[in-house]
Amino acid sequence: MDEQRFAIGLLLPGALWLLLLFAVPLGILLAISFGYTDDLGTAIYGTRLDNFEQAFDPVFLPVLLRSVGFALATVVLCVLIGYPVAYYIAVFGGRFKNVLIALVVLPFFVNYLVRTYAWIAMLGDEGLVNGVLDRNVQFLNTPWAVIGGLVYGYLAFMILPIYAALDRMDPALREAGKDLYGGPWQTFRYVTWPHTLPGVLAGTVLVFLPAVGDFVAAQLLGGPDEYMVGNLIQQQFFAAENWPFGAALTTVMMAFLLIWMVLYLRAAAREAREAAA
Amino acid sequence: MSPGWEGRLDRRELLRAAGLALGTGLAGCALGDTTRGSLEDTRKPFKKAVDGDLVYFNWAQYVDPELLAGFEKRYGVKVRESNFDSMPAMLAKLRAGIAYDVIFPSAEFTQRLISGHFLREIDHDKLKGSDTVYAEFAQPWYDEGSKHTIPYTMYATGLGYRADKVSGLTGSWRDLGNADSGSRSFMLDDFQEGIGMANLVNGHDLNTTDEGELDESLDYLVDLKPKLRGITSDTVTSMTSGNAWLQQLWNGDLVNIRNQVDNPEDYKFQKCKEGIPVGNDTFAIPVNANHPGTALLFIEYMIEPENAARNVEWIGYPMPYQGGPTEAFEGLVADDPSINVTAKDLENGHQFRNLRGEGRLAWDRAWTEFKVS
Repeated sequence: MDEQRFAIGLLLPGALWLLLLFAVPLGILLAISFGYTDDLGTAIYGTRLDNFEQAFDPVFLPVLLRSVGFALATVVLCVLIGYPVAYYIAVFGGRFKNVLIALVVLPFFVNYLVRTYAWIAMLGDEGLVNGVLDRNVQFLNTPWAVIGGLVYGYLAFMILPIYAALDRMDPALREAGKDLYGGPWQTFRYVTWPHTLPGVLAGTVLVFLPAVGDFVAAQLLGGPDEYMVGNLIQQQFFAAENWPFGAALTTVMMAFLLIWMVLYLRAAAREAREAAA
Repeated sequence: MSPGWEGRLDRRELLRAAGLALGTGLAGCALGDTTRGSLEDTRKPFKKAVDGDLVYFNWAQYVDPELLAGFEKRYGVKVRESNFDSMPAMLAKLRAGIAYDVIFPSAEFTQRLISGHFLREIDHDKLKGSDTVYAEFAQPWYDEGSKHTIPYTMYATGLGYRADKVSGLTGSWRDLGNADSGSRSFMLDDFQEGIGMANLVNGHDLNTTDEGELDESLDYLVDLKPKLRGITSDTVTSMTSGNAWLQQLWNGDLVNIRNQVDNPEDYKFQKCKEGIPVGNDTFAIPVNANHPGTALLFIEYMIEPENAARNVEWIGYPMPYQGGPTEAFEGLVADDPSINVTAKDLENGHQFRNLRGEGRLAWDRAWTEFKVS
């Protein structure tokens, strides 16, 4: 009982924090999505549904599909780049493990926006890379630049959970795979990969969610045709001064992501259980 | 009460009840204040004297920092600076009730703030140097009788271009899509400037809200879009990085671009023949300012000829004051005087007005449609 009271005591500050700075703003967001604006651009609470009707306008569908496409491409690239990095650090990092992980996290000491600006300086038509290559490649204002920026921005969110999964894995399992005459690929395919799948899934969620709602990469690195849902929402709040419509778009987006995430996680968890069995 | 309340309260009914409570409980309430203070509050007199530190609220890098330091030194006060990154963000902070002593709203936002009783009246007679303001600002459209504000800067929108790279310019806004810019044309990421430009190209009033005319402007923008490389308001980055050779921009940003490149003489400004938007920002004191006296001293300090001259050279935007600042800016753009905003531009230029209700929504819809097209 004492232990339970202790646990509740520890829970309290965090719970209050979440309630005040997460649940309440979310409630305001939901409430304002039924509202409208006055002439001064002030959002007024109401009980209207027209913001939601507008949010389901099919003109926004391409923007949503593009955002999901960019985010999926980001996830795939993050797995392809992040898994080998995590694998190398976990298996061969030795006493440098912690240093290497710190290096992975290091860029996060600098704000994402600032790092993205650095990409402009590097990849601009008269930027560093074109200078070194002595070429004139238009890297920026392309879908590739946006996806690249997203991968750069969120890669660590993929590396860390995969690393944690690999680090927890008993090396004896891999050795057992070899003892049973499994080659490196077979050992990876039938032993390591299934064991680290939960880490990959966690990384997928951690990368996909911020990437699909991101607006910085598209705004700074994209061209006119890389407009994402995040840009659309940001525009409603900061340019159009239409907070209610922005809030409705956000609500629809959250509901959409929540449904897919729940379905995905349930399917993925089942697969992971079956793979482990 | 709904029948659900009589039986077992299941989850769905609870949700519906919660939703209803959320909506109806707050219906009609505003998120933040729609007005601040009363008309009398805005007229309360105050002395031009130090009454505390200066709580300063502005765009970042929009006053020479050495002038802020100089003000601190002269009056023995601290300048406590915070920044906004858009006019709506500034308004949101004011609506939330945060007290600032001096702010720098655009003309449109000045008008909106005045209509909501957000601004303190300023006695121009008390303000030394206020007689050097250009005559065009004696009766500004946004502030009847100039009672609440005094102008800060002026700006004009045009096309900035690399004279060493771009060919085929004709003096028209259409050059943005038609001139040979090596696929390096950029447009401002600004709904007013975007739709405004299209309105001018099509020969409509800058501020038209006519449905047919806006449709025409939207068509023009949608056709222009594939010819653009990007849409950005960070024109200093786009042009200095070499990504943009032809860019819709504000004149002052071109001055800042020229300050950062090795070949400033190649960066030129085109005032387009269909007409250009011109505008201005103002100095204003919010009605809930705790130190209006210090704020008034600050405004007076900023429009002193030598300080204003120094400031225009640092920020790159002209200030509508005769003498020092005018000469300083003319010197700054001596090789391309078109970068300046002249009295003639103020007279012939087109000014963005506040759109209300349906008109405003129509502009927003058109801009969103352009972006998602």
